[in-house]
Amino acid sequence: MSRAVVDINDLVIGYDTGTRQVRALDGVDLTVFADETLAIVGESGSGKTTLGMAAGRLLPPEAQVLGGRISVCGVDVTQADDLTLRQLRHTRLGFVFQNPTSALDPTMRISRQVALAMGGRPDPQAIAELLARAELPEPERILRAFPHELSGGMAQRVVIAMAIARNPDLLIADEPTASLDASIRARVMTTLGKLRAESAASLVILSHDLSLIARHADRVAVMYGGRIVELGPVAAVLDAPAHPYTRALLTAAAGNERPGERLRPIPGTPPVLTGRAEACAFAPRCLLRELRCEAERPEARALAGRDVVCHCAEAVIASGPSPRREVR
Amino acid sequence: MDAPVIALEDVRVTYRSGFLGGTGFDALRGVSLDVAASETVGLVGESGSGKTTLARVCLGLLAPTAGQMRFAGQPFGKLRQRRGQLSVVLQHPEWALNPRLRCGRSVEEPLVLTGVPAAERRARVAAILDQVGLDPGFAARLPGQLSGGQRQRIAIARALITSPRFIVFDEAVSALDVSVQAQVLNLIRDLQAEHGFGALFISHDLAATRYVSDRIAVMLEGQIVEEGPAARFYQTPEHPYTRALMAAV
Repeated sequence: MSRAVVDINDLVIGYDTGTRQVRALDGVDLTVFADETLAIVGESGSGKTTLGMAAGRLLPPEAQVLGGRISVCGVDVTQADDLTLRQLRHTRLGFVFQNPTSALDPTMRISRQVALAMGGRPDPQAIAELLARAELPEPERILRAFPHELSGGMAQRVVIAMAIARNPDLLIADEPTASLDASIRARVMTTLGKLRAESAASLVILSHDLSLIARHADRVAVMYGGRIVELGPVAAVLDAPAHPYTRALLTAAAGNERPGERLRPIPGTPPVLTGRAEACAFAPRCLLRELRCEAERPEARALAGRDVVCHCAEAVIASGPSPRREVR
Repeated sequence: MDAPVIALEDVRVTYRSGFLGGTGFDALRGVSLDVAASETVGLVGESGSGKTTLARVCLGLLAPTAGQMRFAGQPFGKLRQRRGQLSVVLQHPEWALNPRLRCGRSVEEPLVLTGVPAAERRARVAAILDQVGLDPGFAARLPGQLSGGQRQRIAIARALITSPRFIVFDEAVSALDVSVQAQVLNLIRDLQAEHGFGALFISHDLAATRYVSDRIAVMLEGQIVEEGPAARFYQTPEHPYTRALMAAV
């Protein structure tokens, strides 16, 4: 197995809401290896953004690390002092956020923002080359432009160019294409994948778009209730899910149904945790639940080529292949 | 056969800017489209293709520069005459609902404007909340206390309360999670079967659009480049642009 870039051990993070503490992460174990694309999927509130932002300690002040550790490129992010953290963010990490127009500074020309990301005083030729690597047409025109003069897809490519400016070891992309049109999503993802492969960095995509993940990721981690409930190679997890939540998510997604077929949404609503979950967080919405699911916290175990957090995983696999049809 | 709820005939819209309208931009370039009662027409295309302009024409918010728009076989006339017959559900329910009004008040507002007495309003609000799958207790809550899916249900309830003949869903499910999206799509289908409104479902997500629509029109640069039954969009569509969209499903 190759080198680990991120190593997360039993990480617990809570948000203080004033009256109570809400748990966003409830014991997450995850390793991201060098030169791989890992996707983290889950609905809003599942904790995927908290997990991604925790890697750079970019969480809001009301978030508190309650336990566990997270190490990025050998630095313990939860303990590191400000200078170490600054160094880490500057040289080792690259972030791509959901909305490119709010990630860029509206008062600065693109050339200046990209130069800041590159550090020092790069000559205009180097900046233009960087933009060309991100497959931006006419780099000279874009360098002179302000963010509002670019389309969403172009602005996102600028953000990607800034993220890879220092050849980071780890790229974290939070819903990188959610605010873009369907027709340019695939192209932006391809660019991101190509740049990742060129620099042999690791890419972590946080997304709820299953078809995007099926095409662009090597491994997928499915999050629910602040835990990773299933983790394994994309083909294994999406074609033969072992966790009932993964299966339900695939059934509910539009795009897999046959004409005239009805989508089956997941009944109930996601949980809001105020303490450690002592049972399976998905049990109230699960069709396969047993007495054990409501009494005993399931732990991760290896099964059929992936790690799954479910007491009834065998039954889920036995219930047949995934509802997801072959991706074209 | 009744006249279609909305009939567009060779509609053109030109946005003018500059000195004396010196430069013009054609947002719609000769669009013809019918929406019948109890029918959902899906409208897909990228930003800038004219989807929202077309929706504004259908809602009577924008008069076409050339061409004709007929509502239920009649010329559209004044917007005031069409009160309660048209509705819209927008992408972000948190912006569409007034954060300082209780949900019940937001839902009943169209009835206040059309002069329905208070007792009847209350009964109709309770009935419509029940239909969109919300407890009547939600009427007393503020939008900030609801989840995204619940807020979108409130927005749909408000759109439906006057029993309109035509509803525009402008990216109504794009901001929602996968499973909530499925709930809202099913809700739209069920409510249409019951109320028989005509609908225009605008989205750039072809997967959701083909699920909810009877027919789909694909827009590119102000024109409809392909139109056909939704079933065709599960197989091989004709226009290369549609195929590019299909590849993203």
